[in-house]
Amino acid sequence: MTSIWPVLWLCARHELVLAVRSRWLQLFAVVFAALALAIAGAGYVLSGGHGLQDFSRTAVSLVQVVLLLVPLAALVFGGLALTPERGAAELLYSQPVSRGAILLGRMLGVWMALSAAELVGFGAAGLVMQSQSGIDGWWRYGALIGTAVAITGVFLAIAALLASGNAGRRTRVLATALVVWFVAVVVFDIAALGAASLLRSGSASRLLIAATLVNPVDAARTGALLAIEGTAAFGGASLALLRFTGGPATTAGLVVLSLLAWLVAPLVLAVRALSRADI
Amino acid sequence: MIQYRGFTKRFTGRTAVDTLTLGVPAGSVVALLGPNGSGKTTSIKAAAGLIRPDAGEVLIGEQQLSALDPQGRRRCAFLPQRVSFPDTLTGREVVEFYRRLRQAPADAADRVLKFASLNGAGARAVGTYSGGMIQRLGLAVATLGTTEVLLLDEPTAALDPEGLAAFYQLVEARRRAGGTVFFSSHQLGDIERLADAVAVIVAGRLVAEFTGSDLAARLADRGVMRVRMAAPAAEILDRVRTRCAGAFWSGSELMIPGPASLRPAVLEAIRGGGAEILGLTTEEGRLEAFYRELIEASS
Repeated sequence: MTSIWPVLWLCARHELVLAVRSRWLQLFAVVFAALALAIAGAGYVLSGGHGLQDFSRTAVSLVQVVLLLVPLAALVFGGLALTPERGAAELLYSQPVSRGAILLGRMLGVWMALSAAELVGFGAAGLVMQSQSGIDGWWRYGALIGTAVAITGVFLAIAALLASGNAGRRTRVLATALVVWFVAVVVFDIAALGAASLLRSGSASRLLIAATLVNPVDAARTGALLAIEGTAAFGGASLALLRFTGGPATTAGLVVLSLLAWLVAPLVLAVRALSRADI
Repeated sequence: MIQYRGFTKRFTGRTAVDTLTLGVPAGSVVALLGPNGSGKTTSIKAAAGLIRPDAGEVLIGEQQLSALDPQGRRRCAFLPQRVSFPDTLTGREVVEFYRRLRQAPADAADRVLKFASLNGAGARAVGTYSGGMIQRLGLAVATLGTTEVLLLDEPTAALDPEGLAAFYQLVEARRRAGGTVFFSSHQLGDIERLADAVAVIVAGRLVAEFTGSDLAARLADRGVMRVRMAAPAAEILDRVRTRCAGAFWSGSELMIPGPASLRPAVLEAIRGGGAEILGLTTEEGRLEAFYRELIEASS
C-alpha cells in the first residue's frame, strides 16, 4: 500500500471491532451513564428534594469526575490495546506497511471506541435527564461530552507514546500509565499551587497560567468550564489565564492549542520511537 | 535473496549477533541451527525488519532493499516463534485483516484457511483455539500473498501433527515454486528433511555452514550404538575392536562410538562370536557437543 490512509483506516476498524467486543469498554459505558445519573440525582437529594438536576447543573458537577476518570480510562485501555503481546507485535510490524500508520490507525480505532462508550453512556443518562427535567442547557451537557472526547484523544496519544517503546511489555506500560495519570490529575496541581504559594503575586500568576496550559487536564478543565458556565466557575489558575489573555475567546484559543499540542506531540514522538524500536 | 553483511546486534551490553555475514540464495531452503540464546531469533527478525542492526545490514531481494524498508518486507512473510492473536476475533477475521494489509487477492483467505486445516474453525473465536491451532493460524497468515521469501522462527516447536504436515507441505511447495525459505530450528529431523543448507550460529557467531546431508553425516559420525548382552565378555570386545577401536564395556552394554556405517559390521562380529544380543539402541551425535567442537575449530 503506497498511501498510509488505507492502512490507517484498516487498522482503525480492526481496533474498533476489538474494542467494541471488550467487556471493559462496555463497562466504561455503563459507568459513565451511572455516574451522570448519580450526579444528576445527588444534587437534589443533597438539597432535600428528589428528581434529577437539569443538563446545566449536571454538566458543571460532572466536570471534575470526567477529568478524573476519562484520562484513567484512556491511559489504561489505550495502553493495553496499543501494546500487543510480543508474538502479535512481531507478526503485525513485519507486514510491508509503515509502523507509524499501524500505530496511528490503532490509536484512532481506540479513540473512536472510547468516544462511542462516552457518547452511549452519557447519552443514555442524558435521555433520562431530558425526560425528567427538560431540554434546557443540553448544549452545556454536549460541551462536557466534547471535553471528554477531546481529553480521551490527548491521553490516548500519551498511551501510544508509552506503548511505542515497550512492545510486548504490557505490565510496564500499565504501571507507567498509572504514574502518568496520578501525576497529571493529582500531583501536578498540588505541586503548582504549592510552588505558587511560595512566589510573589506576579510570578505566582505566571506559574499558574503556565501550569494551566502545560497540564492537559487543567487546560481541559478551563475549556469545559468556559464552555459550560462561562468564567463564573473559574478557579484561581483559570482566572489568571483569563486576565493574561484579556478575554474568553483568547483563553479558549490557547486551551484548544494546548490540547492540540498534547494530541500531536506525543503522537509524533510515538511514531518516531516506534519506527526506531526493536520489536 | 537474503544477505547479511556484517550484521551485529547488541542488547544492553550483550552481543546477540556478532558480524554475521551470510547469504541465503534465491530458491533455496536454508536452516539456521544453534543452541538457545545463540542469536537465531535476532537474525531471523532482522530479516523480517523487526530488529535494527547496530552495525552492518540485512538486504532482501535482487534489488538489495533494506529489510527495514516496507518495500523489502513486501518480499517476505514472517512467522514468529510464539505467535498470538486477539481472543475475540475469529480465525477468518484475523486472516482477512492480514490479507487486506498485504493486499492479497480476495480468495486468499479461503485458500490459506483450508491449507492450515482451519476452514471448519474459521468462524470460531481464536480464544477457543488450541495452541497448535493458533500456530496453524499463524502459518496461514504467513502464506497469504505471493512473497518470495518465507522467514520462520522455530516453526515446528508448537505445531500439532496437522500443522506439521501442513508446514512440510508448504516448504516443499515453496521449493518446487522456486521460493526461498529461511528458518531457525534445533529440531534435527526438520533440518535433515527440509534444508538444502544449514548455517550454524553459536553465541552470536556463524561457526559453520553445511549442506543438509553433510550435517546429518557429521552428526552420525558422533553417534553411539549400545548393544546389551547377558554379560561382558573379553573375546567379544576383542572381535568388535577389530572393527571399532573405541568400543568398550559399560556394565552389560557394549558401547560402539562412531558413524552409522560401522554398525552392520560390528553386529556381524558380535554374532560371529556367538554372543546373544538382548537389546540395541543408538544415540546420534549430541548437538551441544557438536556446537562445542565447532566453536573450538573456529577459534
